[in-house]
Amino acid sequence: TVTDKANAMPLPGVNVIIKGTSRGTSTDFDGNFSLEVSQGETLVISYLGYTPQEILFSGQATIDVALVEDAAQLDEVVLIGYGATTKQDATGAVEKVGDEDFNRGAIVAPQQLIAGKAAGVRVTTGGGAAGEGGEIRIRGGASIGTEFGATNDPLIVIDGLPIDQRGGAQGSRNALNAINPADIEDFVVLKDASATAIYGSRASNGVILITTKKGSANQPLKLEYGIQASTRRITNTVDNLSAAQYRQVAEADGVDPSEFGNANTNWQDEIYTTGIGAIHNITASKGYENFSFRVNYNHVSQEGPLLGDLYERNGFNTSFVHRFLDNDLKITAIARGIQDEYQYAEDGAIGAAVRFDPTQPIRNPDGSFYQYGTTANLAPANPLFTLAETEDRQTIQRFIGNFNIDYNFWFLRDLKLSVNGGIDYAENSGFRFAPANPNNAGAFNFNGQSQGLNRNTSLDFLLNYKTFVESINTNIDITAGHAFQEFYIRTDIDEVSGPNTTIDTDINRNALLSYFARASFDIADRYLISASFRRDGSSRFSEDNRFGNFPGVSVGWKLMNESWMQDSFFSNLKLRAGWGVTGQQEIGQNYGFQGIYTPSRNDQANIQFGTTINGEPIFIRTLRPEGFDENIKWEETTQYNVALDYGFFNNRLSGTIDFYYRETEDLLATVPVPSGSNLRDLITTNVGEITSRGLELTVNGVIFQKENFGWDTNFNVTFQEQEVTRLSLNNDPNAFFLVGGISGGVGNNIQILRPGFDPTTFFVFRQVYDNEGNPIEGSYVDVNGDNQITEADRQPYKKATPDAFIGWTNNLRYKNFDLNFTFRGSFGNYVYNNNASDTGNLNAITNQPGYLANGHASVLDTGFTNQNLFSDLYIERADFVRLDNISLGYTIPFEKMTLRTSLTATNLFVITEYSGLDPEIGNGIQNNFYPRTRDVVLGLNFTF
Amino acid sequence: DQAFEDPEAYKEFLAKIYAGISLSGQQGPAGSPDLAGLDEGFSNYLRLYWKMQQLTTDEAIIGWNDGTIQDLHGQVWTAGNEFIRTMYTRLMYQVSLTNEFLRQTTDDKLSSRGVDADLRAEIQVFRAETRFMRALSYWHLMDLFANPPFVTENDAVGAFLPQQIQRADLFNYIESELLDIVDEMAAPRQNEYGRADRAAAWMLLGKLYLNAEVYTNTPRYNDVITYTENIINAGYTIPQIPYFHLFLADNDSNGAQEEVIFTIPFDGLRTQAFGGMTFLTHAPVGGSMNPAEFGINGGWFGIRTTPTFVEQFPNEENSADGRALLYTDGQNKDIEEVGPFNQGYAVAKYRNVDVNGVPGSDASGDHTDIDFPMFRLADVYLMYAEAVLRGGGGSASTAVSYINELRQRAYGDTSGNITQGDLTLDFIIDERSRELYWECHRRTDLVRFGQFSDQGVWQWKGGVQQGVTTEAFRDLMPIPETDLSLNTNLEQNPGY
Repeated sequence: TVTDKANAMPLPGVNVIIKGTSRGTSTDFDGNFSLEVSQGETLVISYLGYTPQEILFSGQATIDVALVEDAAQLDEVVLIGYGATTKQDATGAVEKVGDEDFNRGAIVAPQQLIAGKAAGVRVTTGGGAAGEGGEIRIRGGASIGTEFGATNDPLIVIDGLPIDQRGGAQGSRNALNAINPADIEDFVVLKDASATAIYGSRASNGVILITTKKGSANQPLKLEYGIQASTRRITNTVDNLSAAQYRQVAEADGVDPSEFGNANTNWQDEIYTTGIGAIHNITASKGYENFSFRVNYNHVSQEGPLLGDLYERNGFNTSFVHRFLDNDLKITAIARGIQDEYQYAEDGAIGAAVRFDPTQPIRNPDGSFYQYGTTANLAPANPLFTLAETEDRQTIQRFIGNFNIDYNFWFLRDLKLSVNGGIDYAENSGFRFAPANPNNAGAFNFNGQSQGLNRNTSLDFLLNYKTFVESINTNIDITAGHAFQEFYIRTDIDEVSGPNTTIDTDINRNALLSYFARASFDIADRYLISASFRRDGSSRFSEDNRFGNFPGVSVGWKLMNESWMQDSFFSNLKLRAGWGVTGQQEIGQNYGFQGIYTPSRNDQANIQFGTTINGEPIFIRTLRPEGFDENIKWEETTQYNVALDYGFFNNRLSGTIDFYYRETEDLLATVPVPSGSNLRDLITTNVGEITSRGLELTVNGVIFQKENFGWDTNFNVTFQEQEVTRLSLNNDPNAFFLVGGISGGVGNNIQILRPGFDPTTFFVFRQVYDNEGNPIEGSYVDVNGDNQITEADRQPYKKATPDAFIGWTNNLRYKNFDLNFTFRGSFGNYVYNNNASDTGNLNAITNQPGYLANGHASVLDTGFTNQNLFSDLYIERADFVRLDNISLGYTIPFEKMTLRTSLTATNLFVITEYSGLDPEIGNGIQNNFYPRTRDVVLGLNFTF
Repeated sequence: DQAFEDPEAYKEFLAKIYAGISLSGQQGPAGSPDLAGLDEGFSNYLRLYWKMQQLTTDEAIIGWNDGTIQDLHGQVWTAGNEFIRTMYTRLMYQVSLTNEFLRQTTDDKLSSRGVDADLRAEIQVFRAETRFMRALSYWHLMDLFANPPFVTENDAVGAFLPQQIQRADLFNYIESELLDIVDEMAAPRQNEYGRADRAAAWMLLGKLYLNAEVYTNTPRYNDVITYTENIINAGYTIPQIPYFHLFLADNDSNGAQEEVIFTIPFDGLRTQAFGGMTFLTHAPVGGSMNPAEFGINGGWFGIRTTPTFVEQFPNEENSADGRALLYTDGQNKDIEEVGPFNQGYAVAKYRNVDVNGVPGSDASGDHTDIDFPMFRLADVYLMYAEAVLRGGGGSASTAVSYINELRQRAYGDTSGNITQGDLTLDFIIDERSRELYWECHRRTDLVRFGQFSDQGVWQWKGGVQQGVTTEAFRDLMPIPETDLSLNTNLEQNPGY
């Protein structure tokens, strides 16, 4: 019997193998195993997270083993891309987050599992919408970001298949939703370039390797059923005027009270509801001697909170592993079929609810929706009308398949061939109906069909040779391989709005061809050296620039294994350093290096050339030559990483300190071209440089480890800074671009890209205040002293990205209870309150063409008459600490079944000075943000 | 080259060059924009050119809060102004488009693609029109920015830094281009509607010569007489229809077209953009104005005019002059505040209805059928008269008769006629405003008369309510900061 030494509980699924052979078994549910063993053979008993034990068989009838939990899990296998290593042998900045560490609750989007769990990794949800995903930033990303340059999204690899960085499916709120969170075994985050360089041209923003669960060999049939029922409600709304405040403000500003309605409607309260959600998982797994499988069916339904918002998922996830030829040949097949269905509630209702006249009722006495009427054609429609009448559905059917063959050559067992074929195929079809704005007599309904197809096919071969060379006391691990991947995207548009019809098909295709190799040496169990190289070709660049080379080197020194460290109080100490070069080619366009022509995309973009004999105009379509840059090439990032892994007290206190410095050159950005030199005003080209540096600290502590009580904690903190260092073809230090579009007038931007500043820096006027500290409207600091306030007086000021962010997780258990909670925090980040700057003024409230509109309550403080969009008044400190997740569970071990019940609450509270809706806004601009929800989740999990 | 396998491609490419001044992208009314640096609707050629020529003057003021738009009327713009930048970018883009057409239609290219003789002959005319369109945009560049970057079909597409051309050299280039192509262009009134003909080239030459003193310090008024006479003798007439018919939805067929030398055609269903006439019809409507009378679904509450313009008309809003298309109901003549629409009289010039009041073809009321009369005979008459007064030759009595032809249309009778004694330069600048307001002439006219910046005051000029003069360097627009920082060959205009 195998038990856990800490609490004497039996351990199921423990591997028991006879050393030097492939014979073995694993323990059953009660921790028992049986195996035929000969005298003198040694059993190796190993279990993930525990220190393995070896026991010499000398004829015992039974063997009882108590495994000790290895707090630092130094033997844990960690994937590193086209291979694996162990935690103690890893030389790059690699962090693994396993399922025991995941966030709890009714989690639909896989990235939410690891929010706050890893240093240097920031996951920011886009809001509370059903099926919403979240933006992942590893070390802040190495590029400018999609508004103006290449993406900052990391490369995500699921079971060896790199997913399209553009998403993988159209019409989805989150492409990762295709993976069932309950199906994920672990995430491995490759942060530094020495670790990611093996992924070459897509690795600059880090790589996340997701491994899904599989059955294990010799495992009895295990059935699991889990259900999580949840409620979701928003926690905050935009602070606009109540009906009473509104009447007061508007009347004082000259609105005749007869224009008010008699109602008191809080439109924001009306458009949100309590969303109900349920997640079901049924899983069966079983392992035979040579074959194992795991089958999972997953159903998700998630509602609201915006009325009518609904996300549903049905997924089948299967994996099969078969071993042949004495385990020399292993075939793994993974197939998942997912149907995602979205009913999108019209987001525009959020903005309309913020603005709609609070003195008006939702419905007229006759039951119809109240509307402003046709004298106000620019007014928003009643948001409840919009939500009720708009239909917007999207169904995505997706298949992700992986087929993997591992073969150990019979003549040289240390040599292994792996072939990995994968496909990610998605079809989407959707329908959108949007009613004409009833305030606009001539407006038309909109009817649109959208259809699309995404196909990502991948094939790679690799040879791996692993051996121990006794003469030099060195473990050698060499891998070389070849990979090909093709992406195909088709989008069909068919839209009708009154007389306007647009029918078009876009086809988008690109491919990558790559060669890669890695060699790792572990000398005397003390010195580690690893070098990798990838040569990537991309169809997105001209033949001259098509291939790029991406090397990475890292070294490690296991100080702990030096003889002079034997008596130190450290239980682990390792120094690591790495360097690597990675690339970026996700620029959103496939033909940027060559000239192409675009015809008119619909009949509304034609012009008249002449008339027929009857005097009817003759229209002709137009043909536009596109701008291009034939020299466009990879963005290249060089990254240095120095780190220390440490452990004390038998690794009950352990962790890592990582320092990195990163430089991106040939930064791909969409920038203005010298006028007249190209067929476009802005072009995506290699133009700038950006540097970033950061410090990441992780502490893992096992505070208590008693039979009935345990407490362990994980704390991580990341300090980071990022700066644009160059931004023009001619190295002009004053070159800048305005980014960060805001509402309140067309074409207004609040952020600036400029050398010397963070890419999310705000660009504002410095507000002047009176003696009482109240802002003086329109009065700003005349920075250049020319006695005029012009845009030359706008200054860079603060930024949206944090200087530091933390994650703090605690896991406690007492007898059969367990309690987990996770805090996340962010410091040094600022948010621009666009809701306040746009509508917190009298003009926005009382001077709208033909209607009365609500405004932001900040007008009560500022008394502003007009918009002061660029005042730094609206840039607010947005540090926060959020209790992201708290979960209490109770496990009941029945005889034939285990039942775990849990109650989880997410987003329970936020501590912040920020006065707006939510301090955590991806781009730092709060404007009609879909509010985050607070979820309460009841979970039941049955295991048979 | 694949794109040119279809012989229609040449004409479609030519269509793009014309569409460059009417549309904003490849999808109507918005989508697939030509320029990405500013909101697509704002990036439209005509809309931007209109703003440069009108908002900066006494004829128009806008209340919107879009970026630095109010700096235009205030004459406090800087080199960072995004509207000025986008105008400049749009003009240079148009030049690039025309250059690309010329590169793609060289004899060598056409031979290598096996283009047949008929099409080749047609393409030669296309090339002449393309060069006309390039000259037009270079004229706008020269007029607004003086010394723009200079690129021709001899420069390849790519990342290079174009050289800056000096205003006088650019004048010579435009002049030589026009003289070179004028005979290759279709005879006056013989080309397809919407395309430029020989008279359009004459008109552009006339415009160059009229302003030559500003551009090169050398007056060329006698050449103005030559080219205006060419046009006047080419068969255009001042139609005897009410003035306001010229700006209606059916102005391509209600008789107004008889006067028009070069037009930018729009169509409510087929030629849609949020710039162009859609902007010029919606943006001036607001307050108590009834959108239905304008053939649109609603106003955008933006543009009005100043009291200075109103006062150009005797009896102001009650003037017998039929060109005073002012809307005063609920409007304040004075502009106390820039933002609210009711400050300043509204202008009801462009209306998307036909002579019978029937709205245009786009039943949604978004887009309009009105064609923009870029060059028309009334302008030619006034140019002729001005050139006579400035000593270019010609006949003063003929000039007076031309002007009375315009005034008879305006008054409906001879009560507004002038005598030769009334014909002064002061009269001309005012008469140009009365006849041609909101047709993209005012800024150039005021500069030529020295009344744009350091002379001439109207409300909110200089950023103050009563208006002040500004410095003379504002006669030129600044080269946008962005391009200066990118292209080290460029030198900023003085004062900025």
